[in-house]
Amino acid sequence: MPLRLLKYALSREHPAPRFFRACEKPKDSYDVVIIGGGGHGLAAAYYLAKDHGITNVAVLERGYIGGGNTGRNTTIVRSNYLTPEGVNFYNASVKLFEDLSQDLNLNLFYSTRGHFTLAHTESAMRTMRWRAEVNKHVGVESYVVGPDEISKACPQLDISCSGQAPILGALYHAPGSVARHDAVAWGYARGADQRGVEIYQNTEVTGIDVQGGKVRGVHTSRGYIATNKVLSAVAGFTPRVCKMVDVQTPIVIQPLQACVSEPMKPWLDTILVSGSLHVYVSQSSRGELVMGSSLDPYEVHSTRSSLDFVEGLTSHILDMFPFLSNVKIVRQWAGMADITPDFAPIMGKTPVDGFYLDAGWGTWGFKATPISGKSMAETIAKDKAPELIHSFRLSRFEEYELTGEKGAASVGH
Amino acid sequence: MKLLKCPVNGERPLSEFVFGGEVREMPDPNTCSDQEWAAYVHYRNGAPGMKKEWWYHGPSGTWFIAERDTMLDEVARTYLYGQEEKQ
Amino acid sequence: MSMRLPKQNGEWINRSKPVKFTFEGANFEGYEGDTISSALWAGNERILGRSFKYHRPRGVLSLANHDVNVMVTDTVDTNMRGDVVAVKAGMKLTAVNTEGGVRNDRSRYIDKMAKLLPVGFYYKAFHTPKSMFPFWENIIRKAAGLGVVNFEYPRILKRKTHRHCDLLIVGAGPTGLTAAIVAAKNGLEVVIVDENAQAGGSLTYDRAGSPEPLSQLQELMAEVARHSNITLMTGSYAAGYYTDHLVPIVRPDGIVKVRARAVIVASGVFEQPPVFRNNDLPGVMLGSAAQRLIYRYAVKPFNNGVVVTANAHGYRVALDLLQAGCKVSAVIDLRANGESGPLAAEVARKGVAVRKGSCIYEVLPQAGNMGVRGVQVCNYDEERAEADASSIETIECDGVAMCAGWAPAAALLYQAGTAMRYDNEVHQFVPNRLPEGVFAAGKVNGVYKLEDRMHDGARAVAEAMRHLGMDAPAVTVAAHAGAAPSHPYPVVPHPNAKNFVDFDEDLQVKDFINAAKEGFDNIELMKRFTTVGMGPSQGKHSNMNAIRILARIRGVAPEKIGTTTARPFFHPTPIGHLGGRSFHPHRVTAMHSWHKAAGAVLSEGGVWVRPAYYAKPGMSAQDIVQDEAMSVRTSAGMIDASTLGKIEICGPDASHFLERFYTGSYGSQKVGEIRFALLLDEAGVVVDDGVAARIADDKFYVSTNTANAAPVYREMQRWLQKWKLNVWLINVTGAYAAMNLAGPNACKILSKLTSDDISEKAFPASHFMEAKVAGVTARILRVNFVAEQAYEIHVPAPQARAVWEAIMEAGAQEGLRPFGTDAQRLLRLEMGNHLVSHDTDGLTNPFEIGAEWALRMGKPFFVGQRSLKIIAKRSVTKRLVPYMLDEGYSGEMPQECNLVINASGEIKGRVTSIAFSRSVGRVIGFAYVDPADVAPGSRFQIRADSGAMVNATVVKTPFIKSSNEGDQA
Repeated sequence: MPLRLLKYALSREHPAPRFFRACEKPKDSYDVVIIGGGGHGLAAAYYLAKDHGITNVAVLERGYIGGGNTGRNTTIVRSNYLTPEGVNFYNASVKLFEDLSQDLNLNLFYSTRGHFTLAHTESAMRTMRWRAEVNKHVGVESYVVGPDEISKACPQLDISCSGQAPILGALYHAPGSVARHDAVAWGYARGADQRGVEIYQNTEVTGIDVQGGKVRGVHTSRGYIATNKVLSAVAGFTPRVCKMVDVQTPIVIQPLQACVSEPMKPWLDTILVSGSLHVYVSQSSRGELVMGSSLDPYEVHSTRSSLDFVEGLTSHILDMFPFLSNVKIVRQWAGMADITPDFAPIMGKTPVDGFYLDAGWGTWGFKATPISGKSMAETIAKDKAPELIHSFRLSRFEEYELTGEKGAASVGH
Repeated sequence: MKLLKCPVNGERPLSEFVFGGEVREMPDPNTCSDQEWAAYVHYRNGAPGMKKEWWYHGPSGTWFIAERDTMLDEVARTYLYGQEEKQ
Repeated sequence: MSMRLPKQNGEWINRSKPVKFTFEGANFEGYEGDTISSALWAGNERILGRSFKYHRPRGVLSLANHDVNVMVTDTVDTNMRGDVVAVKAGMKLTAVNTEGGVRNDRSRYIDKMAKLLPVGFYYKAFHTPKSMFPFWENIIRKAAGLGVVNFEYPRILKRKTHRHCDLLIVGAGPTGLTAAIVAAKNGLEVVIVDENAQAGGSLTYDRAGSPEPLSQLQELMAEVARHSNITLMTGSYAAGYYTDHLVPIVRPDGIVKVRARAVIVASGVFEQPPVFRNNDLPGVMLGSAAQRLIYRYAVKPFNNGVVVTANAHGYRVALDLLQAGCKVSAVIDLRANGESGPLAAEVARKGVAVRKGSCIYEVLPQAGNMGVRGVQVCNYDEERAEADASSIETIECDGVAMCAGWAPAAALLYQAGTAMRYDNEVHQFVPNRLPEGVFAAGKVNGVYKLEDRMHDGARAVAEAMRHLGMDAPAVTVAAHAGAAPSHPYPVVPHPNAKNFVDFDEDLQVKDFINAAKEGFDNIELMKRFTTVGMGPSQGKHSNMNAIRILARIRGVAPEKIGTTTARPFFHPTPIGHLGGRSFHPHRVTAMHSWHKAAGAVLSEGGVWVRPAYYAKPGMSAQDIVQDEAMSVRTSAGMIDASTLGKIEICGPDASHFLERFYTGSYGSQKVGEIRFALLLDEAGVVVDDGVAARIADDKFYVSTNTANAAPVYREMQRWLQKWKLNVWLINVTGAYAAMNLAGPNACKILSKLTSDDISEKAFPASHFMEAKVAGVTARILRVNFVAEQAYEIHVPAPQARAVWEAIMEAGAQEGLRPFGTDAQRLLRLEMGNHLVSHDTDGLTNPFEIGAEWALRMGKPFFVGQRSLKIIAKRSVTKRLVPYMLDEGYSGEMPQECNLVINASGEIKGRVTSIAFSRSVGRVIGFAYVDPADVAPGSRFQIRADSGAMVNATVVKTPFIKSSNEGDQA
């Protein structure tokens, strides 16, 4: 048992300080205002302070920190994307994640499990090879494996999927991991707070003051705050914030649902994804199966659950693991996802001077938390987006330079 | 499952329908700028509110318009394209 | 010593059916109707399970489906809940999550180390040094989890049925039963559900020693039985509320999906434990659990107990205990003024000592925390929630009944979108604003007196009727009078803690205080940091106390704290119930059984299954495919092409419609001609290709790719609405079957079956004709997709099998054989034809695949045209080219999706098609390459799987020599 815990045992008063201050009254102005106290917004605040020495920063959160998609996703971290730009970007995120527990001095339960994207059709196998080849090219450990290797890593998986959709192979991605999602937000919040960033919860932005094409301040439920730089990091709410500054985007909101089982002793050591069956599943360190599926098929700005989702998902889970018939689902929930036409985020500058966008995170936002924070911090500090996120710029749509991730549209999370 | 009212076939479960996106006015391709056209093709009005949307009832092959509050996911009315006034 | 009581009126057990079973190796006997927990308790077994984190012994807590510390396995099933699962003869049960058995669990040492494991401890340790985390993680994962999954457990199919009704009532207590009767009398079709094995709710157990509740229940049940429009489902719980009043009812044999026109939630309340040290020991239970043991299962909760209470219910429980023959050594009332009125008088009359303004300071454990040996009682300052430890007095006892208040079972109400408010009269959250068509009644609505609850049920029915457009009289329900049924803060601090708030997660009061200290002082953050309410019982007995504690820490009213969001499911629901039968629907063609008889190996394409190739004993798939292809090149082959999308476009504006929809030119197309049909989306991306045959001035017959039939037809319909052209569309994909007869002998074979002249001269390529084939009127299309001489024969699906067989027979002499999609892919490649979505992806534009020839940019409009004008101004970054590997190449065979790499090691493209062609004698294919390298003769390199670089040369198409030497598209 690590010595660190002894200090709790030996002290009368609980010796842990607050993770972050309880901020109530914002100042009149800040150098940077970040809208959205999720993982992305807090990471941006952290790296603004840590990498660029910009600490006069306020993070404004409508609800509580990490309460949006940070706390609703299925916590998978991976970098086995299709385009070199995508792979490089997410790989940079994986690298940051690998040392993040130490960097933030908080155990994020970052657990490298290996990630299998199962292929049930020849065309899926082709896509797996495409991704594997691009990954290899960029130096990311991904390769195509056959059913035997999948069985070795997960002997419980029914390779025939109950005879319905036999598995032909998979893309194996060694760095695939899961993490404790809430802790990522808390860790960044603590790190930012320690460096002087102020975090305001229950603080809603009601308007953004733009004059002459430049950001001048934000109107909030706690009053007006002057600032020249605003970052919007509000997955699920991006269109609402963009409307405040009259910036057009392709983003529409669709719910993404997930569910979790009762805890059981560990048996599933890997992360499994099936594009054909619309399933992704891993077992958390608490022992629960964490499961997700594809997006709800139409625009809704709410986090209501549906029965169709959980019926469809569990039916496919049973194809893969018939023995789970009597294991119980405890809870289902939904998040609101920013969906873009090319399955890639929108990051960087916008037509409004001083309004920066970190958006379009679809179903892949959590895995990008560290690198998006770092990249957006640099973009804000230098008023110039780093090369790493160039292909994710908002102007790509007007330029007809969509990212190639759309080529792998059938591929899941 | 949610129910949706097809103007031809009546109330049916949502699984029989395909969402076709918001009804959008196409700019005149002969006179609009490249930028206007690109905006028409790619950009969407993603903010919540009452919207006119295309919906398709698959089994009968019927396209129709639904006026739906995308925040509450409540449909105010549905009608065939161009027959709004007849409602 | 048996704890079984003599027969109790209304008991749920069947004494004529004894049930023998074992628990942890020891023999027990219960009765049919017993749950596992009640049978064990009857057999005087107190240690029913171990807690999740500290491995403390646990017994009965609620007997209401949230005793999650009592989870057992029968070696087949796991995580079975002892408090609700019926005991069955021959069961061999053990507790889950123990090491070495429930009594001697070796993990019990963790309880002693609790101080080392403060709230959120795992966030604060184990991550340094980094290299050690996997070691710690392994230990933590193994310690977590509950039962062990049985990998041999069979896949169980559970039925799903649908049910429509006017009114769904959730909860068959006195409120729900009254509502059902009133609704039925008004002619409504009613479904009423209850999770318990029998209806009656509190009337089945909460009796205050009186026979009256039972007779009231019997009257209600008799009345219910008189109404045929009431369906009562017991042993069935409403698992969640979904949009438009959809409520899945989970029963042992499956799910009933009830769609109601209105819903009344009369789901009652969960009793909440007061919080004091060792409130978790076996023998300490909720008052309602003690009552359930007595009246449902005829089991004595303990021999000599105390009741700790803060409401009238505690006095009712005391009377029930006395009735069952238990000694009640004291009633300990947290309230300074205690209880007054007839209940208190009756308790006093029976000689039970009542201590007002007192609390249990701690429960004294038996050795190993195996049970209760007494309680320490002291004065309690209600306002400040402080115990006066100087006034401690010890009372010997072997059990404690806890009655401090309730929390609404409001999960369904929350899921439906109800706004709740905290009511200070009852000290409970009650509905404030209900969504349309959803009503709440009874205790969940803050109504407690029995006759008031029954009125409230009638009131809810009246409102539901008005919602349904019926007339109904106004029903008024008296406001709550007297003391609140719940205590605002039933929490007793103790310096040595172990005063549990959440029994699932072993959370103590200090965990909440410390979480708040660390900044997690918002209820959602607190939930996530402490994990309160995240266990299998989903906070049923812990959320309310957590809210009270947090409110006290922050010095605000509970209403300001709010509640966490309730999500489905109300109770954890089995995957087998939810998944039900699995459906993987697919379509088969009219010739399907012929293919199967011919040994076809099937593959999926869109929604269809169709032959990939026809197996031959002793031959590899690869060789078969080459053979099938070769027969097309040398004589003739035939493929079932029924899966192509087939759409008729009819009407005066038909050609006009095609001009707008597709990229090509159709106005000038002559009847009998076939033209290429390339479809783009509005962004200029290639989405489909097919052919359009003009079969009359006002009629075209259009084909699409197999996977695109439905979406292309759909988009046609939508554009048609916008364009308002005089056109109608018919999707004949399923109505017509098609077969493609191809090869040098195709004409010869087909001529045997038709009297029409189909010779090359009379019926050249890219033409259409209608002719009788084997007596069936057929549409014949000359499409040279796989061979120069090819006839696509479309016939009505019912006749297709006969036509197919006739052609196969007619071609027997020429060696005609069927071929599948694998050979087709090779054949079209040899012909130099690319496949949409195989050689293109979700972003490919026509310039990248060299399809400029198919674009009539001069037309006024076509879908995607305006975008192409923008794209045309930009430089292309990659282009699809036909290529060959070097003659005699025998190295590693590149695969589709291997990358094209240039001399500087950059990705320039990828291989989209590759195959060895016997006809060409070379490996041929398509690849995306640098636009600078597209001229025939240009060389580029492919990186194979192993990393080996393979040279390729750009060539012209078709790969095979054409008899008339003309380039083809």
